[in-house]
Amino acid sequence: MTTLDERPIVVDEPDEPEHPNARGLLGFLTTTDHKRIGVAYMVTAFVFFLIGGALAEVIRVQLYSPENHVVDENTYNQLFTMHGSIMLFLFLGPFAFGLANYLVPLHIGARDMAFPRLNAMSYWFYLFGGITMVGSFFSADGAADFGWTGYAPLSEITHSPTLGGDLWIMALVLTGLSGVLTAVNIVSTVITMRAPGMTMFRMPVFTWNMLVTSVLVLIAFPVLTAAAAMLFADRHLGAHIFDPAGGGSPILWQHLFWFFGHPEVYILALPYFGVITEVIPVFSWRPVFGYAGIVFATLAIGSLSVGVWGHHMFTTGAAQLSYFAGLSMLIAIPTGVKYFNWIGTMWGGRIVYRVPMLFALAFLLTFLIGGISGVTLASAPIDFQAQDTYYVVAHMHYVLFGGSVFALYAAIYYWFPKFTGRFLDEKLGLVHLALTFVGFHLTFLVQFALGLEGMPRRVASYLPADNFTTLNRISSVGAFLLGASTLPFLWNVWRSIRRGEPAGDDSWESGQTLEWATSSPPPPENFDKPLPPIRSNRPVWDLHHPDSGEPRVAVAPRGTTAHQHSVHGEDDEEDEP
Amino acid sequence: MRRPALVLAFAILLAGCEVPSLGMPSPVSKEGNDIYSLWRGFIVASFVVGGIVVGLILYAAIRYRRRDDEVPSQNAYNIPIEIFYTVMPIVIVAGLFGFTVATQMKVTNPASSGQPALVVNVTGFQWGWRFELPEQHVTVEGAGEVTTPAIDVPVDRTVHFVLRTEDVNHAFWVPQFLEKRDLIQGIDNSIDITPTQVGEYGGKCAEFCGLDHWRMQFTIRVVTQGDFDAWVRSQPQSGR
Repeated sequence: MTTLDERPIVVDEPDEPEHPNARGLLGFLTTTDHKRIGVAYMVTAFVFFLIGGALAEVIRVQLYSPENHVVDENTYNQLFTMHGSIMLFLFLGPFAFGLANYLVPLHIGARDMAFPRLNAMSYWFYLFGGITMVGSFFSADGAADFGWTGYAPLSEITHSPTLGGDLWIMALVLTGLSGVLTAVNIVSTVITMRAPGMTMFRMPVFTWNMLVTSVLVLIAFPVLTAAAAMLFADRHLGAHIFDPAGGGSPILWQHLFWFFGHPEVYILALPYFGVITEVIPVFSWRPVFGYAGIVFATLAIGSLSVGVWGHHMFTTGAAQLSYFAGLSMLIAIPTGVKYFNWIGTMWGGRIVYRVPMLFALAFLLTFLIGGISGVTLASAPIDFQAQDTYYVVAHMHYVLFGGSVFALYAAIYYWFPKFTGRFLDEKLGLVHLALTFVGFHLTFLVQFALGLEGMPRRVASYLPADNFTTLNRISSVGAFLLGASTLPFLWNVWRSIRRGEPAGDDSWESGQTLEWATSSPPPPENFDKPLPPIRSNRPVWDLHHPDSGEPRVAVAPRGTTAHQHSVHGEDDEEDEP
Repeated sequence: MRRPALVLAFAILLAGCEVPSLGMPSPVSKEGNDIYSLWRGFIVASFVVGGIVVGLILYAAIRYRRRDDEVPSQNAYNIPIEIFYTVMPIVIVAGLFGFTVATQMKVTNPASSGQPALVVNVTGFQWGWRFELPEQHVTVEGAGEVTTPAIDVPVDRTVHFVLRTEDVNHAFWVPQFLEKRDLIQGIDNSIDITPTQVGEYGGKCAEFCGLDHWRMQFTIRVVTQGDFDAWVRSQPQSGR
């Protein structure tokens, strides 16, 4: 408590092109404040989530009965293509970037992102990329209809001549550029703008995960953008890169796409693992168990994720089976480690069941099925049956909805008081959780069986003789519940912004990381008060519990300077019992 | 302690009942049998591991719920436990990987059954199939539900399906053989299947290939060698 005079900011004052007091539309259009941009990202991404979800509801109406033709095949193909594209490119990733925009500077005690104007530009690229993609529905022949994976040669102009395909490619380029610029910004911010005392191994795990995610973005997104540019060249400049008619190689698209696509899965998952790692300790009143282990697990997942793309190609006859099976299964190890860290955090704690913690618990139970089914898919012979079926559809929804979206909701309930100064309503939150949990499992659990029994993915319909009707009906009813689950949530947000219970600085009273040291919502430059001393990975907890003993975490003991323990941090951990 | 009790409970549960297939069809081929037993192994491992983890989550969630306002233990490390839960998954994954590779060898290199494999050239196109039996000089082609192509193959003899496409990517899948492979221009892909049960099995395209993808079906009839020879004789000869 004696070194409070130090200001946290370590960079020069940037020129502020914004109008600091502008509100409303002008404020939104001109802001470079990381918090406003973060909220803009999250709101925009959630709107895209609702659009993508509405497309999914039409898909589930179509599949409610065999030989149902609510929409024709052409429209159906556009629906699932855009559902996947919107959810993966416009919702989950950008929402995580929104969270990161808001939280990373707060987590490390910085005033803003490293490049505020670049940050604003990334958002606008994203927004217009998203509008380009969704707007393609209104082009002459509708949206792209070759699947979110855009496999060549189906995506070549001879087979998909519509403008929608070109707009899809352009949207990938724009949102890809946006992602790369944001990643550059996050990496720079984390590396250069940490407050005094905030060593790498004192950073909140969410921020660690965003750092690793951003590095993955820098590895993966340029490949996708390049592949999209090559596809465009094929379609309009006669390049024949993926077109076999001109000597091109269709399989090359799959290699490029999945070299992006598998890291992408972790780009969409790691930020949300980070969210869970923030939520569980705060509501368990415990430090995160095995902090160093969980950080190394994140690094391991990130590293492995760039070497496993071939498991999407087991059936192509062009992927080395054992290599990709082995490497893919290895990812189960760091993921398992994270699970035990989360359980270890709860173990011996004093768990307070507020809605964010309940969503985190729902995440633990649901994502487990996603993870385990992932190991079965990594086994090439099992994949021979499961590939391209509803089994894969179920698996990816268990990972990206049961995992990421459940954690995303936990994040919203958890940080809403920080973002707005008001709590979301607990009762409506419970209704939301129950509907989401029941609706989700009803929708997707049966799809594992559907896939194994023989239902391929991306089919516009099925025959009565296939015997898929009952399971599809269960799935559709679940999907309608899942759609309905957003209503209490939206009402809750609408109401709580105005009339929610006011939240204090340390809204949950057991906050650990620096965002809980500032007001709710934080002032324009984040910290009007001096930062608490940063001597562990949970400075706010240390501040509020001065007599709860030395925190036994992976940083050097009190008294050493910031420089020393950034070097010795990892060694110290070995000495701890 | 609770953990051994849980393991025991699961062991009893697993011993007491048939391993559920979770929708995996009963295989009708030699390779399918291998894949099916691999699948059962994975199911057992999944249920044991998943059960233990769910048990731990629920135990911690209930046992350590808030009961008073005392600040709980702030211990954040336990190196022996951390090593244990890092090594255990390595052991499990190594086992699953070994089982996977062994099955994969059997499935992708079927042992010669004494007779040369029956070669069937399969060509996919938007949105139908052409099957050629070059030695028998038989060609069957069809598209859609009305003219769904169907071929006969003899039981207990390995069939070597050579997979090619005329246009976009397709995938050759008979769910009851528990296997599929893709048809991609520029890739020499094939699938070896040794049917073990006489019957009629529906197949379909599994790789999204455009407008009528879902109608791209075919039928494989597994028959005795005698019936197969009769079927070949009944077909118009397409030979060269």
